[in-house]
Amino acid sequence: MLETIQQVSFDPNMKDFEAHVTALEADLEYWRVKRIEPRILHFVRRNILPLHALFVTAANRVTNRAGTPIFSRSDGKNGEEEHNHEHGHEHEELEERIRGLEDRLDDYVRAIALAATDQGKVDFVIDDSRKESGAYDPFFKFIKRTHGGSLEERIQQLDLELTQNMLVLETFTRSLIENGLISEKTITKRRAEQEDEGAKNGARIVARAWVDPDFQQRLKANGREAVRELDIPPGLLAKLGVAENTDKVHNVVVCTLCSCYPRALFGDPPWWYRHDTYKQQIVQDPRAMLGEMFGLKLPEEVTIQVHDSTADLRWFVLPQRPAGTEGWSEEELAKLVTIESLIGVSKPAIRGK
Amino acid sequence: MSIDAKDTTWSGPGARTEDIEHRFKEGERVRVRLSSTGANPRTPTYLRGKTGVIAELHGATYAPHDHRGVYPYLYTVAFDVSEVSGKSTKDKILVDLTEEWLEPV
Repeated sequence: MLETIQQVSFDPNMKDFEAHVTALEADLEYWRVKRIEPRILHFVRRNILPLHALFVTAANRVTNRAGTPIFSRSDGKNGEEEHNHEHGHEHEELEERIRGLEDRLDDYVRAIALAATDQGKVDFVIDDSRKESGAYDPFFKFIKRTHGGSLEERIQQLDLELTQNMLVLETFTRSLIENGLISEKTITKRRAEQEDEGAKNGARIVARAWVDPDFQQRLKANGREAVRELDIPPGLLAKLGVAENTDKVHNVVVCTLCSCYPRALFGDPPWWYRHDTYKQQIVQDPRAMLGEMFGLKLPEEVTIQVHDSTADLRWFVLPQRPAGTEGWSEEELAKLVTIESLIGVSKPAIRGK
Repeated sequence: MSIDAKDTTWSGPGARTEDIEHRFKEGERVRVRLSSTGANPRTPTYLRGKTGVIAELHGATYAPHDHRGVYPYLYTVAFDVSEVSGKSTKDKILVDLTEEWLEPV
């Protein structure tokens, strides 16, 4: 398992197909049983979207197949088209098929975010919903699907599961629209925003903090308000924790219980952030984890501080400005900041150095 | 000022530090309770019963869509990795814990 993380996250060429497929299976089930199906059931339980409304939508969908899909990708492609089987080379073909599945998983994850609705209309407490989705009580846990067999069988199963999951999600979202719980306009707007998000906001915050010491002070004192100066809405977090790296201290962030992260600010964390191996190893032996898994070797005199996010305080790492960037513009500096460096598993570096 | 979970004077999510009653101060040694009924259930199990040092005071926090409204006083507590996993190292784990989980050593 440990090698899995290293190979998947740091090798741009796919070598270990098994590792990719295992990661896909785990990720797909995570998003299904933790992020979307519990939400659908909450809506049914609270009669916000009754079961019959979902069935009506599903039935209409069958009789009216001409309806445009809600989640088509803006580039007009979808994962299924990308892995045509006309390659003579078996190795390449397999790689393309797995990449196609990975693209479809990305689409699924993005589509889940599109379907989020304004829950302010109901008395909705996230902690209660965690209980219902089985975060604390195994009785409520969604049973995960089992995977196994040959690589070919596993790929075929993933293909089928992605289709099934997407069908459920599309029906749910379509039903939300039909029942006035979300507007199609909101979904279009969110899709446009998604394409422009990710680590970019985090990178802008870090770059501003590097060039403007006053801003850095305000960020550390009250990050929620400070990020508004960059027109970045802070979201619902109670407090933004700024873990500043120095010559003596290196910070790294984890959420051992789930995957808390300042999502509203920085988008979704990378897949390994939710991986049990990362969660367990980083608190047990952070130095070995950073060195062996992420290739980040820190000198002995540097103390590693692991922030385990457990409350409504969301941490991000303020990395040190790399040497040799004197006189760089804020825009140029922002390009050096990756999502990995905001979590603390890498340092911003000038490309080629 | 004591902390009231149903305090309606909050205008939005955030943290308040001024004049809020709290039990521990920076640098004080605390132990994490083994259980704390009704408290934030997200206190990691690997920390239960472990001893750490108060590293930062955050005040009372409020997140309208999360948990139960206003949360008790929040601290960042620093633990030695060696205390948690037995690994010989000076590295630290910093965890945000509410007051109801902490007892003096």
